[in-house]
Amino acid sequence: MAILERITRNIDNRFWDPGSEAFPVKNRYTAGMAGQRFFKEIKENGKIFGSKCQSCKITYVPARIYCERCFERLEEWVDVGTEGTIYSFTVVYKTKSGKPKESPSIIVAVKIADGLLIHRLNGCSVEDIQIGMPVKAEFKPKAERRGGIEDIKYFKPL
Amino acid sequence: MRKVAIVGAGMTKFVRRALETPKELAYEATKTALDSCDLRLEDIDCVAHGSAPDAFDGIHQKGEYLADGCGGWNKPTMRVYVGGGTGVHAIIHGWHHIASGMFDTCLVVCEEKMSSAMPHAQGFFLTIFDAITERSLHPNLLWIFALEMNRYMQRYGYTKEDMALVAVNNKRNGLKNPASQFKDEVTVEDVLNSEIMAYPVSRLDVSPVSDGAAAIVLAAEPVARRLTDKPIWIEGVGWTLDTAYWGTRDLYYPRYLDKAARMAYEMAGIREPAKQINIAEPYDPFGYKALHHMEGLQLSPRGKTVELLRDGHFALDGNLPMCPSGGLLGVGNPIAAAGTMKVCELFWQLRGEAGERQVPGNPRLGVAQAWGDLMQVSSVVVVGN
Ligand SMILES: [Zn+2]
Repeated sequence: MAILERITRNIDNRFWDPGSEAFPVKNRYTAGMAGQRFFKEIKENGKIFGSKCQSCKITYVPARIYCERCFERLEEWVDVGTEGTIYSFTVVYKTKSGKPKESPSIIVAVKIADGLLIHRLNGCSVEDIQIGMPVKAEFKPKAERRGGIEDIKYFKPL
Repeated sequence: MRKVAIVGAGMTKFVRRALETPKELAYEATKTALDSCDLRLEDIDCVAHGSAPDAFDGIHQKGEYLADGCGGWNKPTMRVYVGGGTGVHAIIHGWHHIASGMFDTCLVVCEEKMSSAMPHAQGFFLTIFDAITERSLHPNLLWIFALEMNRYMQRYGYTKEDMALVAVNNKRNGLKNPASQFKDEVTVEDVLNSEIMAYPVSRLDVSPVSDGAAAIVLAAEPVARRLTDKPIWIEGVGWTLDTAYWGTRDLYYPRYLDKAARMAYEMAGIREPAKQINIAEPYDPFGYKALHHMEGLQLSPRGKTVELLRDGHFALDGNLPMCPSGGLLGVGNPIAAAGTMKVCELFWQLRGEAGERQVPGNPRLGVAQAWGDLMQVSSVVVVGN
């Protein structure tokens, strides 16, 4: 080996901006057959839908077109409401380049029916947040919704 | 080793741009394959799935992402990846699972969604080239094919018109395939008049960018006999690779395939492949590649393949039909799924279920092959009824 470069402290191993050497190709994604309908309901009606497998007694959120357990096609769509409970959470203090964030942000895994949505939590101090706490989705005004997960601004305590 | 049979097959249509997510595409193919042999997911012991570069679908660790769409939830699941060779290699991978005695049933599923790459999937290939000696020239895959095609033509005195015959043959077959993404017949003039991408490769010499998935169900002998009266046996498998250094490779003869084919034939007890094989599904991402691969598969004498093609030897009603499915040129090329599609086609052909494109005369033996990685790997599967 001709070059010896050793990092002994993890903190020295930092994210850097690739700048002008960024790759000349990107990916564009589709929401899919289930996603198309799921996000249309959020955008147009402010509703969150799951899809239910009758034989496995599971309601998937976000809705899917098939049950991963028994492989049946899921035809039954269920309005699961806009409330859930905090299944787990984390508090983010630093940006990816290692600088302190202006204010810490709270990321929650919200249990709705048998599924999870990952999102932000707002209106709750870091000291007060608890696993099991009931929360509710706060949507953007209808005119601003684009048919994506960001149509939900954040979850907030009930 | 135990005998392994294909008992079911299914695929999506191949399309330019699918609304379905990669998982949903995989599900549609897998579900169709299961339904085709009246099996439920609980009857499946393990999953062997395949997909080419993660970058195409734009999801790193695509194998893990795809797993549940392939029926892999809570089952032993393993992804195989050898670039373009993946679609046939995944079947060898699934064959191992059952031949070894570990499992009685296995789902083999391959998926690719190339339309997500913007502006074009070719961009993702930049980093397969040598970073020091080649990359600054901004190479792309067409360069490799152009260099090979030119060398092949020069070696045997072939013309661009000779090479165009393959696209015409395969695209004509593809018109009879309900999964094909094309609807128009193509003539030699059309191919010759299509724009030159990188000489001597013209646009219609090239298979398209596609989205799609294909799946088969494998079973051990006693299970297969219980499930169906018409099991299609995997008689032989083979895979090898040539050097990744272009300069030490024959660009006009696919040595990466020669040994893989011989390995598969030996296992299948085939001594004279050109006489014994009834249907060939050589890998055809470009017209000349099908000819290359017919020679590597020992199905055609080197330098005589164009003559045989002109004589109708490889037509649907010829002695050795080539790409009755339509191949990548005639159906579409969602990379990994395209290779598996070739084995699906052999399954339907050998069971007499290929409809309008059925090869006459009760074909008994078929061979499918795919090619990939740094353009130097090949996988071969021989199947029989
Ligand atoms: Zn279920």
